Amino acid sequence: MSERPIIAARGVTRRFGGLLALDSIDLDIPRGIVQAIIGPNGSGKTTLLNALSGASHADAGSIRIDGTEVFGLRPHRIARLGLARTFQTIRIFTNLSVLENVEVAAACNRPGSLFDVVMANARQRSGEAEIERSAREALEIVGLGGRADDRAAQLPYAQQRLLEIARALAAKPDVLLLDEPAAGMNMTESMTLLDTIAKLKARGLTILLVEHNVRLVMGISDRVAVLDFGRKIAEGTPVEVQRNPHVIEAYLGRRHRHA
Amino acid sequence: MGQLVVNGLALGSIYALVALGLLLIFNTVQIVNFAQGQLLMLGAFIGITGAVTHELPVAVAWAVTMLAMALIGVVFMVLVYFPLRGRPPFLVILTTIAMGIVLENLALIIWGPLPVSLPSPVHGAPLRFFGVVISMHQLFIFGTLAVILLLQFLMLNKTRFGILMQATAQDLHTARLVGIPVNRTIAVAFAFGAMLSGIAGLLVAPIFLAEPTMGGSLGLKGFVVSVIGGFGNLPGAVIGGLFLGLIETFGARYISSNFRDAYAFIVMIAVLVAWPRGLFGEKSSEKV
Amino acid sequence: MNNRIPLALGAIAVLAIPLATHDGYIIQLLNIAILNAIVVLGLNFATGWTGQINFGQAAFYGLGAYTTAIATKAGVPWIATPFLSVVIVTAASLVLGLPTLRLRTYYLAMTTIGFGEIIRLIIVHWEPVTGGTSGLRAIPGISVFGLAPQGQIQHYYLLIAVLALAVLVAVRIRQSSLGRAMIATKDSEIAAEQSGVDTTRIKLLAFMIGAIYAGLAGCLYASSIRFISPDSFSGTQAVLLMTMLIVGGMGSIAGCIIGAVVLTILPEALRFMGQWYLVLYGLGVIAVIVMAPGGLASVASMIRMRQASPR
Repeated sequence: MSERPIIAARGVTRRFGGLLALDSIDLDIPRGIVQAIIGPNGSGKTTLLNALSGASHADAGSIRIDGTEVFGLRPHRIARLGLARTFQTIRIFTNLSVLENVEVAAACNRPGSLFDVVMANARQRSGEAEIERSAREALEIVGLGGRADDRAAQLPYAQQRLLEIARALAAKPDVLLLDEPAAGMNMTESMTLLDTIAKLKARGLTILLVEHNVRLVMGISDRVAVLDFGRKIAEGTPVEVQRNPHVIEAYLGRRHRHA
Repeated sequence: MGQLVVNGLALGSIYALVALGLLLIFNTVQIVNFAQGQLLMLGAFIGITGAVTHELPVAVAWAVTMLAMALIGVVFMVLVYFPLRGRPPFLVILTTIAMGIVLENLALIIWGPLPVSLPSPVHGAPLRFFGVVISMHQLFIFGTLAVILLLQFLMLNKTRFGILMQATAQDLHTARLVGIPVNRTIAVAFAFGAMLSGIAGLLVAPIFLAEPTMGGSLGLKGFVVSVIGGFGNLPGAVIGGLFLGLIETFGARYISSNFRDAYAFIVMIAVLVAWPRGLFGEKSSEKV
Repeated sequence: MNNRIPLALGAIAVLAIPLATHDGYIIQLLNIAILNAIVVLGLNFATGWTGQINFGQAAFYGLGAYTTAIATKAGVPWIATPFLSVVIVTAASLVLGLPTLRLRTYYLAMTTIGFGEIIRLIIVHWEPVTGGTSGLRAIPGISVFGLAPQGQIQHYYLLIAVLALAVLVAVRIRQSSLGRAMIATKDSEIAAEQSGVDTTRIKLLAFMIGAIYAGLAGCLYASSIRFISPDSFSGTQAVLLMTMLIVGGMGSIAGCIIGAVVLTILPEALRFMGQWYLVLYGLGVIAVIVMAPGGLASVASMIRMRQASPR
């Protein structure tokens, strides 16, 4: 049963001036698992996510999503191919309502025609109804169904993070990239997040999780990859990785290496 | 043709001065002042009021003008910079444009719409080389630019205050945290920025007559020069200014003088199409 | 829907204005205000919603006006002029829009200003065709199969109808995925892209739709005011349009109309102030930006919020 990995990255490299942020990363992510990427600050985790999602292209390498090469594609094309993401710093659409935020992504694969919009014809109306239905469904999954008509900017921090997840879900992705989704959350909120991720996995989504919160990572991940200075230094199950001496040194050694 | 070069360089030096004033303010507070041209206009008119209306000796008129411009610069800062700290750049643009409108119409009220002339501070027979005529005033323009560049370089790099200004420009927040008198350095930036434009006005008025609506196109040219030279880059602004002066002079002579003002924009658009972030990158793009 | 009643009352008031005053001068002023409102509504797509600064809107306004004036004076039947205007203006918006897609803030502002200047210079210097600085007079009026509005009042009702249409289209766009995509592009271009929005297409579309609004308004301007000159479409006008958008309330459809009407009527009402009006205007704009960046439309909702909260 050698199923094609949903994400297959080969030799992904990224330079910022003289700094090698990603050093020829290889990564295979099988379908349906929760894959965590951890590593000390500056190890290249977000850079890798940006390369995968098209937000900030790598300099070299190959990235395949379910077999389709996406290197160099603009982010909206990659999104339409089934990859959605959240961001390290929250980027919700502050001038839209909670529901509208999610509807933007729900329209992902339905660019819509100006003519239909202006004429407000039947096709436009049924399309809009479908988008709204899809968006409300995504909000229900993360538990924000009751706040659909609020201004997105009014949500408390943790709920804004959930909103980002709902928005990503509405694009009906096969792969979901979560960039430090638990940042700034307290214990209870993190546990809710963990449950949500489990729910998503149960629905068949593949999840790529970049996180600092070790408990969250170990609790929910099937596989873990560790980055340090742009290189992948370890990969395996959570337990294997925890015991890996290179990993321990990477985290501990940091304290001595930096001034 | 050599004559065109000289004329172009003289014109370009004035554009460079406008750009320098613009960049001094931008480098310190990240604001592009769309009223920089109106500051130039004020400099010209204050100079005219001193030298012509009150018949002060030209040197005195110059000194008074520079002082007045420094003051105006600080007032400008109070009215525009402080209330708009932290606001999106779009609103700052509109505010400086609005200030420009206020200054232009105040000038129309005070001095009327008719063009006026200002005598040059230097007199004497023009130089002649190989069929090219260089007037004393043009020499004075080159000289002034050179002196200002030297002074600016010395001040920014060799004096303690200059180093403080650079620190403030690089990171305002940290500068404040380490105890640098940030507001004072910003005030100085605005004062000098206004003075530079004022000097440009004093240099322009003897060549082209001064009238209150002159600020608009000159200010825009200053911005264009900054873009061509690489925003934030001072030597680049000088080179860009000279370059633009040459292009305008040659274009007006060989292509069409009607579209003189358009050449600046065409060059700028060409530069931006090739390098959308400007030749040296712009700070206001969204980081991922 | 407690919005319906004030809206209906407002509509009745608007329709009744010509009953209250027959002064041709006032009605013509209102007509200009309505035309400006359409242009500002257009500006709102690119600048208010999509966040693309556009100081070239006055140039599109002028292109529509001059295209119509030149065509009708050359004998082209009026019915063709809206289409002609749209074609010219759409082409122009692509010429301006395509190179500016990757520009931001200051560079975008400068480039659009430059574009407006270049268009103005062409109009001013192409005298045989455009009449140069004196402009074009005696422009033929609107005439569709022999039907032609006579007098300012009939034009008023026609323009109100056109404005209503413009508002309807804008509302439909806002409530569709297109409108949401525009606002998303402004709020966070990266997040919009990752949500499947082709931000390049959206920016171009917003630009084009805005230009079409301005072009059609220009066509009507030429045919109803019957006299145009480059001054009405200069860089100063571009700034004025922008301030109408801001003072009214950027991003708000009602705000566009409020801003346009207020800033068209005010200079006439304060004409006695002479040059001081512009000084006051400039200071007023700064005051609005500093104190109420959401414009007059937001003031209305701020008052409503104060009344609603049980303090």
